[in-house]
Amino acid sequence: MRSFGYASARDSADAVRLADRTPGAAFIAGGTDLLNLMKDGVQHHRHLVDVNKLDLARVTESASGLRIGGLARMRQVAEHHAVRARFPVLAEALLASASPQVRNMATIGGNLLQRTRCGYFRDIGSACNKRVPGSGCSALQGWNRGHAVLGGSESCIATHPSDLAVALTALDASVHVLGPGGTRRIPVGEFYRLPGDTPQIETSLRPAELITAVEVPRHPTATRSRYLKLRDRATFEFAVVSVAAALDLRGHFVRDIRLAFGGIGTKPWRSAEAEAELRGKNLTVERVEQAGRVLVRGAVPRQDNEFKVELVQRALAELVLGLGGLR
Amino acid sequence: MTGLVGRPVARVDGRAKVTGAARYPADNPVPGALHGFLVTSEVAKGEVTDIDTSAALAHPGVVAVLTHRDMPRLTVPSFPYPKGFIPMQDTVIHHVGQPVAIVVAQTVEQAQEAATLVAVRYRTERPRVVIDDAAGAPYLPPPFRNRPNEFKRGDATAALAGAEVRVEARYSSPARHHNPIEPHATTAQWDGDRLTLHETTQGVHFTKSTIATAFALPADNVRVVAPYLGGGFGAKGPTWSHTMINAAAARILRRPVRLVLSRAQMYTMAGHRAEFRQQIRLGATRAGKLTALLSTTIAQLSNTEESIFNSSESARLLYDCPNLHVRQEGVRLDVATSSYMRSPEMTAHFGLETALDELGWALDLDPVELRRRNHTEFNQETGQRFGSKHLLKCYDMASEAFGWSQRKRRPGATKDGDEYVGWGMATEMHTFGAMPSTASVTVGPDGKVVLRIGTQDIGTGTYTIISQIVADAMGVPLDVIQAHIGDTALPVAGLSAASATIASVSGPVDRAARAARDAVVGLAVADERSPLFAVPADEVETRHGHLIHTRNRQRRDSYGAVVSRAGKPVEATGSGPNLPGLSYGVVFAEVRVHARLGSVRVTRVVTAHDIGRVMNRRTARGQVIGGVTWGIGHALMEHTVYDRNSGRVVNPNLSTYLVPVCADAPPELEALFVDEPDPGSTALGARGFGETPITGVPAAIGNAIYHATGRRVRDLPITQDKLL
Repeated sequence: MRSFGYASARDSADAVRLADRTPGAAFIAGGTDLLNLMKDGVQHHRHLVDVNKLDLARVTESASGLRIGGLARMRQVAEHHAVRARFPVLAEALLASASPQVRNMATIGGNLLQRTRCGYFRDIGSACNKRVPGSGCSALQGWNRGHAVLGGSESCIATHPSDLAVALTALDASVHVLGPGGTRRIPVGEFYRLPGDTPQIETSLRPAELITAVEVPRHPTATRSRYLKLRDRATFEFAVVSVAAALDLRGHFVRDIRLAFGGIGTKPWRSAEAEAELRGKNLTVERVEQAGRVLVRGAVPRQDNEFKVELVQRALAELVLGLGGLR
Repeated sequence: MTGLVGRPVARVDGRAKVTGAARYPADNPVPGALHGFLVTSEVAKGEVTDIDTSAALAHPGVVAVLTHRDMPRLTVPSFPYPKGFIPMQDTVIHHVGQPVAIVVAQTVEQAQEAATLVAVRYRTERPRVVIDDAAGAPYLPPPFRNRPNEFKRGDATAALAGAEVRVEARYSSPARHHNPIEPHATTAQWDGDRLTLHETTQGVHFTKSTIATAFALPADNVRVVAPYLGGGFGAKGPTWSHTMINAAAARILRRPVRLVLSRAQMYTMAGHRAEFRQQIRLGATRAGKLTALLSTTIAQLSNTEESIFNSSESARLLYDCPNLHVRQEGVRLDVATSSYMRSPEMTAHFGLETALDELGWALDLDPVELRRRNHTEFNQETGQRFGSKHLLKCYDMASEAFGWSQRKRRPGATKDGDEYVGWGMATEMHTFGAMPSTASVTVGPDGKVVLRIGTQDIGTGTYTIISQIVADAMGVPLDVIQAHIGDTALPVAGLSAASATIASVSGPVDRAARAARDAVVGLAVADERSPLFAVPADEVETRHGHLIHTRNRQRRDSYGAVVSRAGKPVEATGSGPNLPGLSYGVVFAEVRVHARLGSVRVTRVVTAHDIGRVMNRRTARGQVIGGVTWGIGHALMEHTVYDRNSGRVVNPNLSTYLVPVCADAPPELEALFVDEPDPGSTALGARGFGETPITGVPAAIGNAIYHATGRRVRDLPITQDKLL
């Protein structure tokens, strides 16, 4: 690990000011990912701005929905009664993440900004366009069992690892930021970017912008929402494939549905096409299977991850049919 | 007799461990110690062409950056140093992660940071790191430690051709790493030509001889200290090159230097279980009697070492079969050398026990019954009858406890909700070693008993068991006994590997304790100041620290009083022959496989083992819990991934190399023991055990998955994608 400077911010404006005036500075909150990346030499920051003292940890519910402070801890949000009662997919996605120790430390803002678990990204001896632009992608011809089948490019096929982001994508959440240019509200669907030929740019955040809150709108689908995560061990592991589904159902009639997926895309993956197969129709096994086929249309599997194409369709069916009372 | 041996005595070192009072090798403060950190090769094959150390040397706190240009010439030790070469003696690169420089600084952080500033240039060649990419055909390596790699009995080929029923299948398992929670650590302190090492080692005396050889020192110039170990699993059996490089740095700098490997470095510097292939062919009668057993294995070898660590003992010894052909082949690859890993024998045992399951289905014969029909009371190689073998009893006990008789004789026949339920079993077997050991016991004037023996506690419970033995042998309570181990200043004992510790130390400890007891009794009955004066020694019983006349229990003395009157401590030593042997058992597993998603849960495990006398039921059960849990890891998730293009380990950390977590362990685990003392044992009726309870677990789980689903997965690990 390289030496770095450190400053503790008094408030949000102070944090942005401190980050803005030091090129290459990064915010640190829980530090559960950033410190690993710095210790492993994957990221170097000359300066860290500690935002833990900022008053951004509150979770509040209003008529319009849920507002989660950027510094709320994962555990705190997962245990919040409003989250559990009216946005269960959020609580489930959070509880399926990491370990209790990590959830005690890690913040919502940090969770959204965690970096991919691609082994080549995290190994400084390997070529990785995301870590060193232009150096190549070792995963394309290497070990890519964990990699994306949707949204990849010849530069990068790494998945985004956050479960929370998948749930927020299904719930049409938006990310509130404060930066040198003031505040912005970014729909989560626009927050994450496809890798294209610039995989090092993962989000639409601008320099020195700080996530202050995540807003989750109230919606008829949110209360009937669930998260299914499949992984190679029982806990403390990232998704091989995950599905977040939110369903507004009358009898078997699907009034509305939101579907998002983890583990298969280079960003949290929303599929409007799959939703369209189900919205405004009666829920049946056949329609769910058709939605799955539509979801993976255009999938580009690699030598080790072809199974994800099949597995994600099964996971989708499992979750949606379960939510619809058909399984 | 207080009768502590055999009881579930809590760990005597437990409090020290949980309170932090136990000093592990890297905890021990060494005044003035500098901190080293290794720079390792980024490439798998080629040569170092240039090393620029200037930026690292300019870094604050850096004392030195040493490369092959600075190293003294060292001698490559033979077994148990399994690497075949010592890095930094020349410029050749044999594998990724090979040390190319050591940075030494005032603090560990400075050393780590400066290590990133060392610029190394390489001439590189494309490496070959997995068996599929090997350049040459598999070959039969020369004998390893005088043991051949090919075994023949009868005429296996002819017997297979003439067999009524045949099963032929290929199995594979990936490379896997030990991952002890405590990283490898070494601190070297020189005093002239004398070296003290605080070392994470499974054998202080083995480290001593390895290092003495490397540095061409008289053996007694080297002292090695390792009172506690945070897990070894074979990784800390050999003494690896980082210890030599660090000691060389300390000698050059004339300062103590401490070096701790990073987690990632442990994936290339301290051995692993080799990638492995196996072809098994079984011939049998329709009644299920084995007539032919052919096993050919292929192990990933390195370019510097061709030892086969994953040998095929169970194929040779476990079942009655007149015709056998075992070949242990290898291919040479550009990888770090593999080595022993708990249990080396399980690697090939997976194929054997899975093939037997396949034979059982081919014959429509219950797998336990199949194994009974091939049970043997005779060593298949020597023809001698085993003195004590209760494997049939293990089958009885465990199948009864598991409810095996209720098993449905059709795959996929049981469904519970969304999951198929399957039951599987495998026999377990492991050979154990025994190494010459000597113990010394001293009784002080305060009645305290000090046991000294240069063995180790690698987390298995050695401290506790040797204290139990002394307590029983002398008739003293546990709390007056102090066991000193893990130091070459203590009497010589063997490596804590090959499940050999109990078999190696129990006899000598018992003999030393009895000799000390007899000496104290002798002093008492000869001392007219003692209430026991002139009592025949064989009429003196020792209990709770007292010496008691058995015919007149009012006449008694105590260890403390006797030794106090004698004016000097009483010391006695014990040693004697130790015998290796075999331990047996069986594991039954229940799995649940999600019908549509293929996820596997292991929900119930029952084991029964024949390990001779059970010295401590609690620590023995601990070995079963660890073995079963790690066996689940091997069956379902663990694998080290090599990038075929670069030769690098892609998952060198506990985030991406998955080991089981608590939630993967079975909610129900019953560990049964036959607990019949082995009359041939040189260890108070006990046999070596530690590695045994992992050996059958992967096969039992694979067999249970077949029973659940009808899907036979022959390639480990059995991940979800293989069951869709």
